[in-house]
Amino acid sequence: MASLVRYVIRRVLFMIPVFLGVAILTFFVGNAAGNPIDLIRAGLRNPSPAVLKALQAYYHLDQPVWLRFLYWLWDLIHGNLGVSISGRPVLSQIGPWTFTTLELQVLSLVLAVAIGIPIGVFSAKHQYSKVDYTITTVAIFGYSMPTFWLGIMVIIVFSFYLGWFPSNGAVSVSYPWWGSWVLDPIAHLILPTAVLTYVSLATIVRLVRANMLEVLRQDYILAARASGLSERTVTYRYALRNAISPVVTIIGLGFGAALAGAPALETTFSWPGLGYAFTQAALALDIPLVQGITIVITIMVLVANLVTDLVYAVVDPRVTVQ
Amino acid sequence: MAWRRFRRNKSGLIGGAIVIFFILVALAGPYLVAYPPRSYQSLYEGDAGDPPSFKHPFGVEISGIDVFSETVDSTRNDLYVGLAATLITTLIGVAIGALAGYFKGAVSDILLGVTQMFFVIPVLLLILLFARVFSILVFKGLGLTLIVLILSFFGWSGIAFIVRGETLRLKEMEFVQAARSLGARPFRLLFRHIVPNILSPVIVIATLDIAGFILTEVVVSFLGFGDPNTSTWGLLLNEGFPYVRTTWWVALFPGLAVVFCVLGFNLMGDGLSDALNPRLRE
Repeated sequence: MASLVRYVIRRVLFMIPVFLGVAILTFFVGNAAGNPIDLIRAGLRNPSPAVLKALQAYYHLDQPVWLRFLYWLWDLIHGNLGVSISGRPVLSQIGPWTFTTLELQVLSLVLAVAIGIPIGVFSAKHQYSKVDYTITTVAIFGYSMPTFWLGIMVIIVFSFYLGWFPSNGAVSVSYPWWGSWVLDPIAHLILPTAVLTYVSLATIVRLVRANMLEVLRQDYILAARASGLSERTVTYRYALRNAISPVVTIIGLGFGAALAGAPALETTFSWPGLGYAFTQAALALDIPLVQGITIVITIMVLVANLVTDLVYAVVDPRVTVQ
Repeated sequence: MAWRRFRRNKSGLIGGAIVIFFILVALAGPYLVAYPPRSYQSLYEGDAGDPPSFKHPFGVEISGIDVFSETVDSTRNDLYVGLAATLITTLIGVAIGALAGYFKGAVSDILLGVTQMFFVIPVLLLILLFARVFSILVFKGLGLTLIVLILSFFGWSGIAFIVRGETLRLKEMEFVQAARSLGARPFRLLFRHIVPNILSPVIVIATLDIAGFILTEVVVSFLGFGDPNTSTWGLLLNEGFPYVRTTWWVALFPGLAVVFCVLGFNLMGDGLSDALNPRLRE
């Protein structure tokens, strides 16, 4: 137990330099985009000198850049992400986006794990069978596909051609889908969730299959079988427990990758989440907003990694011993 | 020996064939197509927005770009991004991984920390931010090479991890100790004795990385952060997406090219992995 606590502390401490690294990269590159006041000014009609002066003071533009970074970091640590060039505070804009993004990501992840692990086990148990070939082929296609492109194809078929599901947004504007405002968000959720689930599923199936194949070949599996245990017990109790720990890591990393991939998928479905907002903000050079979204996603990824490490430590206690 | 094993691996061979096909298309591209890159000539021929036909096998964009010519021309540029970025990241990754694995102390700890950092951060967001800022405001005119450099800057951590792990394993083995007792210096030990012995996992990861970089470039261009003057599959998808309801062919065909190209490298990487690490085979 003590080793587990020490392990957790070590992982949390590791997050600090990583967070700082991302903060430094986003701040200085964002800073290279130019003077934020010029960008704000483009949106104002005849700004008075007093307004400009206030903005200058707000962004500390009379200070050297490293001092500005410290100001920015200080605000960041205190939960102040600044004001986007549209004039609204970044944090209050980001809140709802975070929720819609997580709704899509978490649902897909849960589905991918729940479906992917049994499929991977089945595929490994029936190695080189027809079903196994089909599963691995379908999986490697998912692994080789740009997620957003699959999204476009799905929209063409199921939304434009068949007209079964909406093609964009998280809720309808005027008329609800399927004739009900309760069902409407579900109708919007189905296509993006299906696409993201399939792509995450592919990675999980591949990995579970490969690990199971390796574990099933071990002597202790033979011993377990020889002692008369049922095939089910051998597969799920003995083999899967040992095959699952690398999968836990990949699920954590995959969640991070999926979050980082959100800009493309959410743009395809006009899904009002962090990724779509990030794309729009970056194209408009709304640097405070871009920095804010990057920081929020980084925090979510780091927390996901921490949770993964914890689960890993519980599944495989050896990792807590250094 | 490895080639004999690879040859028996059907999916690896299919992958290799796909890769060779795309390389041939990239090389022969200019001789295969009727229109030069980024040409709106079909507009003047009155074919803008036409569906696939004998004259335009993949159809025409609303703006008048022939999708088949553009898809073929993009092959060269997308392969360039994948190969160049992989070459750079492999060099960086092997150097950093070998140093971090071989030496002990503060420098090695810092290298490991930086590697871990690049491994967990959401790199795609930073790639987009870098591409946007640098292409507009700082390094104008670098074109796709800017994308290659940005992808490389963020893409080396995977290889570094593998190389570090293998170096840690190998540096205590007898042949390395023998060379050390004969008086070999650390750098000679590392780059003459250790690194050549970890090339097989590096080759596998590099092959898979080519696929990964191509996919990332497609995303970058699709979202409008790429080079608007160079033909890439992602740029075609970017231009086709707003009109996808009417001209679905602009989104379909370049996407298929991406899928098969990436699939080829992934299958080849898996095949190489089986051929070079026979331990995993039955």
